[in-house]
Amino acid sequence: MAGKIGVYFDVQNIGGSLDIEALAAQTSEKWGDLVPMVKTCPVLACALDEIKVDITSQKLDGVLLCGASSRADVCRLPVQVEYVNLREQCVLSYKNPDGSPPDYAAGAPEALAIMARDYVNMGVVKLQKSEMPNPAAVIGVERILVIGGGISGLTAAVEAAAMGYEVVLVEKSGQLGGAAVNIPVASPFGSNWTDKQAINLNMKISAVTGHPQITVYLNAQMEKLGGQPGEFKASVATMQGSVSVDVGAVVLTTGWKALDDKYLAPMGLGKIPLVVSAAQFGKMMLAGSVSARRIAFVLDTTLAEDAVREAAQHAVGPDKFGGADATAEEAGDKFVKEDLENIRHLAYSNAVNSVGILRLANSVCEQTNDATQAYILYKNMTVPGILERFYKTMQDRPGVMMTKADVTAIRESGGHVVVECRNTLLGMDFDLDVDMVVLPTGMVPTTAKDAVVQFDYRQGPDFPDLQLVDGFVDSNYICFPYETRRTGVYAAGCVRQPMTMDSCEEDARGAVLKAAQCVEAASHGVAVHPRSGDMSRPVFNFVRCTQCKRCTEECPFGALDDDEKGTPKLNPARCRRCGICFGACPERVISFANYNIDQIGSMIREVFVPRDFKKEGPRVLILACENDAYPALDMAGMRGNTWNPYARIIPVRCLGSVNAIWVSDAMSKGFDGIMLLGCKYGADYQCHFVKGSEICARRKENIVETLNRLGVQPERVEQLEVAIDEYDNIPDLIDGFVNRIIEMGPNPFKGM
Amino acid sequence: MVQYTLKPDMNFVQDLQEAGGNNLKRCFQCATCSVACPLAPTNAPYPRKEMVWASWGLKDRLMRDADLWLCHNCGNCSDLCPRGARPADMMAAARDMIYKDLTTFSVVGKWMSKASGLPWLFLVPAVIWFVIWAIRAVCKGSWFPRAADGRIVFGEIFYGDYTIDPIFIITFFGACFILYRGARKLWEMFKPEGELLVVGKQKFWICYLVSVLMDEVVTHRKFDDCEDGPVTGKVVPNRKFGHAALVYSFTILAFVTAVVALGHWGGKIIPTIEIQTPMPLTFPIKILANIGALLLLCGLGALTWRRLSLSRSNHASGFYDWYLLGILWLVAATGILSQYFRLADALQPAFVLYYFHLVFVWMLFAYLPWSKLGHFVYRTAALVYVRMYGRS
Repeated sequence: MAGKIGVYFDVQNIGGSLDIEALAAQTSEKWGDLVPMVKTCPVLACALDEIKVDITSQKLDGVLLCGASSRADVCRLPVQVEYVNLREQCVLSYKNPDGSPPDYAAGAPEALAIMARDYVNMGVVKLQKSEMPNPAAVIGVERILVIGGGISGLTAAVEAAAMGYEVVLVEKSGQLGGAAVNIPVASPFGSNWTDKQAINLNMKISAVTGHPQITVYLNAQMEKLGGQPGEFKASVATMQGSVSVDVGAVVLTTGWKALDDKYLAPMGLGKIPLVVSAAQFGKMMLAGSVSARRIAFVLDTTLAEDAVREAAQHAVGPDKFGGADATAEEAGDKFVKEDLENIRHLAYSNAVNSVGILRLANSVCEQTNDATQAYILYKNMTVPGILERFYKTMQDRPGVMMTKADVTAIRESGGHVVVECRNTLLGMDFDLDVDMVVLPTGMVPTTAKDAVVQFDYRQGPDFPDLQLVDGFVDSNYICFPYETRRTGVYAAGCVRQPMTMDSCEEDARGAVLKAAQCVEAASHGVAVHPRSGDMSRPVFNFVRCTQCKRCTEECPFGALDDDEKGTPKLNPARCRRCGICFGACPERVISFANYNIDQIGSMIREVFVPRDFKKEGPRVLILACENDAYPALDMAGMRGNTWNPYARIIPVRCLGSVNAIWVSDAMSKGFDGIMLLGCKYGADYQCHFVKGSEICARRKENIVETLNRLGVQPERVEQLEVAIDEYDNIPDLIDGFVNRIIEMGPNPFKGM
Repeated sequence: MVQYTLKPDMNFVQDLQEAGGNNLKRCFQCATCSVACPLAPTNAPYPRKEMVWASWGLKDRLMRDADLWLCHNCGNCSDLCPRGARPADMMAAARDMIYKDLTTFSVVGKWMSKASGLPWLFLVPAVIWFVIWAIRAVCKGSWFPRAADGRIVFGEIFYGDYTIDPIFIITFFGACFILYRGARKLWEMFKPEGELLVVGKQKFWICYLVSVLMDEVVTHRKFDDCEDGPVTGKVVPNRKFGHAALVYSFTILAFVTAVVALGHWGGKIIPTIEIQTPMPLTFPIKILANIGALLLLCGLGALTWRRLSLSRSNHASGFYDWYLLGILWLVAATGILSQYFRLADALQPAFVLYYFHLVFVWMLFAYLPWSKLGHFVYRTAALVYVRMYGRS
């Protein structure tokens, strides 16, 4: 609770369109002793020393900086700092209520002055209800657990050891190397990216087995992973029995399994002996048992995909291609892993197969001194990034012939196979007589088949929501690679995404860096990501807790365990500080030191809401997600986009943290509409906290019910999606909503 | 459904690569070449499809492709190819393979396809003309006889009526016959399999030939079209002037030769039109002949300079290219120098150079159907075909 707040106006950033002196005077007058120091600074950045002097002389415990957005300037001061965004979201985005551009010659427009006053008052209240957070540090065990000993796992182990961490490597099989055991020569690992490269697996393995800081468990599996980042307790089932080990973070490199042959049966796999998968063909090449001289490499898997689609349409009884039988009901409470293997894994693996098949086709021609004809029939030849150079080299061999083609049938015909091709680049449809057909290998992440980590978490032993993403554990490809839905567990290699070996190595390095960052963050008691360095954490007032379990169930990251009664137990190092738990809590027992229900509620109540709707306009509250929506609003302001001056914006950590009570607060205060502005949700979600905006949308249904009961039109509360790059849509979104509210008329509770 | 079974011919791929299309496997079918080509039509444009046929060893498809000849080899496609596949060189290589294989006397085609055949090509006329020289030398009692009036007259050794004329007449008409057969064969190859149904009024092929000659050959229009293509950053002169100079000089020299032949043989019947060789330098026909020779030198100089300044990495120059330029240089140089020595009264150099002149002229004409110069017939045939029937 800040009891003495200094308020500083940054004239340089606010500009001349506001009467700053009047604003300052009003602030002093309204808040009295709470704000013993109100100053206008010509240039705030030059006044920092002066502010520091004020802090000591006036014993200030909070500083409110009114000027640019909090995203523009960060001032490090020894007390709590809050920002009032008078630049981007007030002055720059201002237009008159009738939509006309303001005329500043006649002084600050009244609506602008009211808005600025509201924002300053909200800032003061925010600071008043805010405390310095107290980080909850854990030990931060400097040991990293690597699950899976393939190329990615070996790389991760060596990298982590090189950074000074102890490493425990758990490998399921009796030998290290994983899928690479069958691929002695692979696509290139590094510059100049042109030719096949020996992978030197034995060297990589001995670098791991010979390292004093790395302990390897072969024939071992995860039994349990409990605790939290920085102090995970892993229990590993080995041949010698269960081993317990404390680790700070986990790198998950369990790789992939080949898609079941049944999916490729429509293309002849398992039916025609001359049809093999790429993985089988690689093994045959190793054994020197390829005698075929005309080989078709078929990358177009439409035949197989169509068969699945057809089977789904005509499905009678158990689906031939379906996953595991639904035995969950019989199993009762016991966890049953749903098999997520499906035909789409073939398409996901297309890039790896494209590169792999180029390599195989070139190799077979090379081995036979160009006496082999290797036909590559592709639908999408996908060669990622710099591997284009590899593609060039592989292609530059007389026997390698490529065309885009629709492969419409593969059939046996007297000792050889006929491949029917249509719509080819050759400008004609044709048959190919071949001695062998090689089909791509679908790479199914191990996480689609098994709960490989075996979490000892309240939310279950597996990663959540894997069915949405076909079993891949990476939760946020673009913003936070490696990150899974379990903080401290970082996925790398083919378990994250089918990839070539060079990418696996790079991936492993990246994931190890994340793991190291995680251990460090946990030992400082701060969030690792996305709110890196955030010292706050949810604090529970258990006196009022009714053990409803909403928070434990809704936390997207499984941060909350509970006891037998259902009382939540926080694992602070698992927590990402999104506030979805307190958005869930009907009793409002959860709060952060510097972000809580009462604080936002008080800010809402601090807005001046005029009684005369017609004359002085409506008031609309915008609760904006501070990850995407808030920066989008800032950018909109910077770009000169303007919106209705009756809107008041309050940033929230995530729409998932919006508590229903804020809606009631705003309605009883007399706001005419509430706009929840956040990230896209659903299959292509953009939410930093994965589920936040989705959960908000779900909770909104309850809010609608409440509003209906109170006789308030539910349309007054609306959730709108905005992506960070959609700043040009912002004015339309806001103005559209305000116009709908104006048409609806005043909130019936106004003035009560 | 039974469809066409593809039979890729790996030897053909290898042959093409050896003939200058060595980068053809690099093509990844982006079709930049077809877009870059100012001449390629919008429907099934070349050379993208030719590149994939080449890569797949579809000899039959490629050899009977009229589009090979629609290409005028400006090289824009090779300049802009993102993979350095050099489509222009592949097209040229495919044409070279047609020169090599299209007509009979395949041994000549083989000799003509690489430098190692050059000695044989040279030896044939060298022996023929040497035998004639030797016979005449015995008759005249000297290897370098002078005429009665003391002038140098090449006819003293290489007597027109019984040696040069019959040999060249046989050579010329023989080459014409082979070219004709080649053109006929190519024409049949251009025709698509099955019946060719022509809708609409069809004129006699001569009409199309005339329109090709008037519209394209006389104007050299396509060369300008090539030049108007996309910006390639290539700084080499337009081929139009060099090529046109050569074509016009050939026309002039052919005309001069025809007049002289007419004057000589016709003069035996109608004495008033008789032309005596050597003609005096002021004689109009002689003036025209020398203008033709000068034009030939200018054209040759321009084209040789252009070829030498091409970037090696984007445009390979093969044996076919250098043979044609080389033989033309030799013909022109020996012709002009022998005249020079004759006028300068240098007896022995004049005869030796004239001998070589005859050897090279014979090589130019006798081997024409298998050399790059054959394009004047084959390309014209393709242009006429396309005007007549369109592209299949």
